[in-house]
Amino acid sequence: MAYIALATGFLLILIGLYGALTHSHILRMIVAFTVANTGVNLVLVGVGYMGGRTAPILDKAVEVSAAAQRIIDPLPQALVLTAIVIGLGVTALMLTYAYRLYVTRGTLDISRYTELKW
Amino acid sequence: MQFDWMQIPYSLLTLFIVLNYGMLLNALIAKIAARVGRRHGIPIWQNYADLLKNYGIRSSITHGVMFYLGPVFRLAGGVGLLLFVPTIFGSEMFSNLSFAGDLILALYFVFFGTLGMALGAGESGHPHAAIGVSRGLSQVTTAELPFALAVFAVALQYQTLSVTDIVAAQQGGFLNWTLFTNPFAVAAAMLGFLGSMMRPPFDVVLAPQEIPIGPPTEYHSSYLALMQTNRMIFPIAKIVVYMNLFFGGAASWPVFFIKVFFIYMVSVLVGVVFPRFHVEQSVRWFLVWAVPFGIIAVLMV
Amino acid sequence: MVSALSFIALPLGTAFTLGLLPQGMQRVNYLLTLLALALLSLIAASWLLAFAAGEIATQQIFTAGTTPPFSINLQIGMAEAAGLLLLNLTGLLSVIYLRDTLHQQGARAMAVLLIFIMALSGIVLTRDLFNLFVFIELTTIATGGLILLSHDKRALGAGFKYLVATQIISITLLIGTIFLYHDSGTLNIDGMAAGGLITGESLALFLVLIALILELKPFPANGWALDIYESAHPAFSAILSAAAATAALFAVDRLLLVGSNSWLPLATAVGVVSFVGANLLALVQRNDRRILGYSSIAQMGLLLVVVGQRDILGESYLFIAGGILLAHAIAKAGLFWLSGIIVARDLSDWRALQRNPLYIFAFATFIAMLVGLPPFPGFYAKWDLVHLLAAHDRIALLLALLFASLLEALFLFRWFGYVIKGEANPEGIICARNKLGVIAAATVAAWGVAYLWGEMALQGNLLYSIPLLAALAFLLLEWLAVPYKNVLAISVLLGWFVVNYADYNPLQLIFAVIILVGGPLILLSSFYARGRRIGFYPATMLMFAGMAQLIVAKSSFDFFAAWEILTIGSYYLILRGKASEPHAISYIIFSLGGAFLMLTGFALAAAGDLNFLLSNLSEVAPAVAPWVFLLLAIGFMTKTAAIGVHIWLPGAHAEAESDVSPMLSGILLKAGLFGLMVLMLEMGRQSLYGVDLTHVMLWIGALSALLGNLMAAFQEDAKRLLAYSSIAQLGYALFGLALMNHLGWLLALMFVINHFIYKSMLFLSVGGVAKRTGTRLMYRMGGLITLMPLSFIAVLIGIIAVSGVPPLSGFGGRWIFYNAIMTAEYRLPLIIIFLAGPIAFLYLFRLIHTIFLGQLKDEHRQLREAPFWMILPQMIFVACLMVFALVPGLALKRVDHYLLQYFPEGGLSWDGLTITSHFGYWSPISIMVIVGVIFMTLFAWLLFVNRRAQKVKQFNIVFAAERPFRPETTHFAWNFFAPYRKALGFLTEPLVTRFWDAIGEALHSLAELLRRFYNGNGQTYSVHLLAFVVITFLLARGVS
Repeated sequence: MAYIALATGFLLILIGLYGALTHSHILRMIVAFTVANTGVNLVLVGVGYMGGRTAPILDKAVEVSAAAQRIIDPLPQALVLTAIVIGLGVTALMLTYAYRLYVTRGTLDISRYTELKW
Repeated sequence: MQFDWMQIPYSLLTLFIVLNYGMLLNALIAKIAARVGRRHGIPIWQNYADLLKNYGIRSSITHGVMFYLGPVFRLAGGVGLLLFVPTIFGSEMFSNLSFAGDLILALYFVFFGTLGMALGAGESGHPHAAIGVSRGLSQVTTAELPFALAVFAVALQYQTLSVTDIVAAQQGGFLNWTLFTNPFAVAAAMLGFLGSMMRPPFDVVLAPQEIPIGPPTEYHSSYLALMQTNRMIFPIAKIVVYMNLFFGGAASWPVFFIKVFFIYMVSVLVGVVFPRFHVEQSVRWFLVWAVPFGIIAVLMV
Repeated sequence: MVSALSFIALPLGTAFTLGLLPQGMQRVNYLLTLLALALLSLIAASWLLAFAAGEIATQQIFTAGTTPPFSINLQIGMAEAAGLLLLNLTGLLSVIYLRDTLHQQGARAMAVLLIFIMALSGIVLTRDLFNLFVFIELTTIATGGLILLSHDKRALGAGFKYLVATQIISITLLIGTIFLYHDSGTLNIDGMAAGGLITGESLALFLVLIALILELKPFPANGWALDIYESAHPAFSAILSAAAATAALFAVDRLLLVGSNSWLPLATAVGVVSFVGANLLALVQRNDRRILGYSSIAQMGLLLVVVGQRDILGESYLFIAGGILLAHAIAKAGLFWLSGIIVARDLSDWRALQRNPLYIFAFATFIAMLVGLPPFPGFYAKWDLVHLLAAHDRIALLLALLFASLLEALFLFRWFGYVIKGEANPEGIICARNKLGVIAAATVAAWGVAYLWGEMALQGNLLYSIPLLAALAFLLLEWLAVPYKNVLAISVLLGWFVVNYADYNPLQLIFAVIILVGGPLILLSSFYARGRRIGFYPATMLMFAGMAQLIVAKSSFDFFAAWEILTIGSYYLILRGKASEPHAISYIIFSLGGAFLMLTGFALAAAGDLNFLLSNLSEVAPAVAPWVFLLLAIGFMTKTAAIGVHIWLPGAHAEAESDVSPMLSGILLKAGLFGLMVLMLEMGRQSLYGVDLTHVMLWIGALSALLGNLMAAFQEDAKRLLAYSSIAQLGYALFGLALMNHLGWLLALMFVINHFIYKSMLFLSVGGVAKRTGTRLMYRMGGLITLMPLSFIAVLIGIIAVSGVPPLSGFGGRWIFYNAIMTAEYRLPLIIIFLAGPIAFLYLFRLIHTIFLGQLKDEHRQLREAPFWMILPQMIFVACLMVFALVPGLALKRVDHYLLQYFPEGGLSWDGLTITSHFGYWSPISIMVIVGVIFMTLFAWLLFVNRRAQKVKQFNIVFAAERPFRPETTHFAWNFFAPYRKALGFLTEPLVTRFWDAIGEALHSLAELLRRFYNGNGQTYSVHLLAFVVITFLLARGVS
């Protein structure tokens, strides 16, 4: 399971990067990066997963004394949550930029924004 | 050697002898050159007559201070050169004022008169003067080079810069002369000598004067007389240096007269045979033909 | 102490408060922001002071009540405190600078700015990897927002590119982080390092590291960053360059702890590529902000190298890194802030700064700081860095760094040149009080850290040196009029001489007299100047301060610092000439290039000793000694303008002001000779691969003499002629030194004195003539002898002395020369010197003839003699020359005895009037008397026979059967030595100039080609990033 998640995650990252590099439409690039981010999150979860253990919730099902052996490491999941939030923020910012770019220049083709170079 | 008041009259005596000898020698040389060209030539006393006439002429103009001083510089250079070098070897009387400096002094004092003369002529504003100086300076840069190398070789050979010591080292038979002990140096020096005697093929420097209205016209009357006086003394003074360095010097006046005559004749012999070089040609000629001898001399000592 | 957590909590809280306050209270919002940042700066300062005083040790701050790995921890030490202070101060100053923009944009912009600073502080403080990620992402988002502060429409596109790039970086960072966690079981960086579970081989570690390095915007994966620097608001660029890069550097430094230093070479490699590449590409930039961007990237590269080399830097690590970092941060922020008050973006638009000398002072401070000139921290830091690199045999790296530093100096000083010279647009600058205040603060900070680093330096504080302080004091006196300042300058120099007179040894004394007595003599001519002559005195005094320090330097550090100081001073002086900008840049580049070689030489010699004494040069290990000798000798020879590295001299000396040329030629050139003397006295002969280096120097000296003379003969410009003549004269002196015998050295000293006297005099005369005629072209003058008789006398005496004709002092030089070469071991180079000798007559005659003799031009008929203040020093020089000609023993006797301890053979005997050597003799007074008597007798005779000579008019000459009537057609002057040029002109083909031009051209073409790489497309930049990661990885693996 974990390996499938990892493989899928990396595949998504590659697809995302491929998409971001081959599409010159800004919105498509943003979508591609979102895909890649999803892949990263999947990898994060996949790496943190430990086979045969339960969710890190300390209740009746898992006793505190045995917790260290029974639950999976909660940290990667916390990381994923944070990463998702940050990813959302960045995506939102990118979308804002896309909007402003379109308003000022009337195009969303990134290859048109090359007045700064060399 | 120290200064002694008696050296002043002695030096004046040297000057007097050399001046008279120069007058006669120059006339003789002119006559020889004329005869080669199937002409009759000047009488032997012609230089005396010219000099007297020029000192006697009263009309004179000046273009300014430097112009006025030019001939003075010129003659002071000639007289100085003569007096800074001992004329007769072994004679206290005719060692002149050589206590003031050695060979190097003589070498560099040559330029004193040249420089002053060039400046004086320059102030006349005559373009030919400037052209002549330009040519002369250009030529002298390479004509002096073989001579300088030869001097250095000789100084190295005898391990001294004192003219008296150099002459002393050559005593005891003509085979001890530098001519035979260091032939390359002498060859280089004598080729350089051709360039400094203002004779063909290296006399293009004087060409502006030949055009009848060059600086000699500007320098007339007593100026010209001063310059003529120098022309009598200067070549002899220069030959004295050569004689002392390369030909064993002279222990008495008769030897002196003979040696100077023959050294002078070298340039005359070459001069009457060859036509004139352009300046750039002579510059290259010295570099290609004379300098290598000098280099060999310096490296072989 | 206030908890370090306040660096996170306080800005965060303020930012939220700003959001909560009602709209429209801009003033309150702004004050709140200011207050927060000021408070943070204070807290940082108090931490720093506490650390500096040694009151507290490095502290860990644990959050969530437990220790790592179960919590996030922060760490604050001396470095962190300094970093925080830098960040928050930059933030504070930028907020002040941004006052109007922030008022417009409102509370949200201020909040974002606070968050940005907070996130940067977090990066500096945190020891937790994921926490680091979060802070980095926060800076990304904040940057995305702050880019929009700019009025530049293009900033939008740049911002988007930036976001795309950061996406890729954050993907790399996250993946690396999670695998590192997986391998080590902790997110605490110290824990990872201590656990030892992460090896250098780890791909995860590489990914994290490379992501952090990418945050430093390494060359060439940095197109996106350059676009931001170019288009963002300069105040934001200042933060980005000074603060954000600093924070990223802390992160890289920390992460390199993991994997037991195995990735240090990677940091070094990336750093050196960045430093070289970015400086190279900056060469062809014209946009001020982009060039600053390139420079930022270059500096980050340099810092990355320092981080990468920390294994050998030991205790000096923080001193070096801190010095370079602070120099970069303050200078770069200052320059970005300056760019904010300049209206247009081309480098030459900065000419608007000419409006106020204080702007120029700030600009010069920042440029000097960036280049790493003394007394700024970068200077101390580079000194230590270079020494440690050399001590550990990392020579290739060292040379790459120095080469890139030279490139950096090239574009920075060229920029400075543009700014100082040329017409300024008075509308080109916006003066807002808050902005000027910020720039002033940065300038003060620059000098502050200069003092601080001096205090910390092992070698002592340069700012305590009295000559340097005196020179800087003249900056404060700029409001005085010239006469007052001139009197002051002269008395300062003379006073310093009197005070130190007793301490000089005979060798130093000769130079001291030339510098400290000769200098004032030339300064007499400065009395002719009117007004305040802003900039002249600080530069002059800086040059003299450097020279005065140079001759008494005991350690290599003091020597090098003095060398740099005199270089800067003379550079500013040269730059003052009317058309001197290209020559000044070539001067500073050759000087700095030479200085860097010297630095390498000293570093090699020191073998790790940071305070190496010059007297220990004699004990350098035989394996490196010839290399040390070679490097130092080349360094000194750039200053003496030996052939090959001479091309800066003619223009620099010719274009300088009338009273500056004599100082440059007469005094400054001697610095190189002094250096050579010190070097050769200490190290003696050295041979490299069987070649005797002094033999090589003989050749160089001889060729300099020959070619200098030849080129002088073909000049039309009088000052250029004199300049080329200086090359030749210094060639003679070099030759004398390289003879390595007693008389050779005496010859060199004789030339030192003679050249000072007659070249200063000639430059002054020619300067005076040029001032009156308005041209330096000799063929446009002529016949000035009657109008300017005193100038003529000076030139006449000067040329007789230069040419070596008796009875003047030049002859003494020739006489010693002949005696010296009698014992020379190598005779071939002598032939070149012999050839060179008579050529001097060519240019000397031309100089005096074409200017003073020949035909007077119509437009010059009303000319007057040169100004009194220019004539006075010339006449004093004439007197000096006469005295020196008569009694050379006055100056030389003591040196002659002094030299006996080094060269016991071949001294002169000074008995009575005659000077006697082993080979010959010379009696200056007798010669003078004899020549004088003969001359006066003949003169009297001529006066007697020719007493009625009449002065005739100018055209009273006849040639070619015509009377000339136009001076132009009668003055034979242009191309005076045409036949000579025909014969030997091929020797003066400007091969050396062509060689250096070709190198310059090649570098610029390369830069022009390489920068096409940045095609402006965000996607291409992404490809660059990915390719950079992959290629770096492959190379790193391939190497290890």
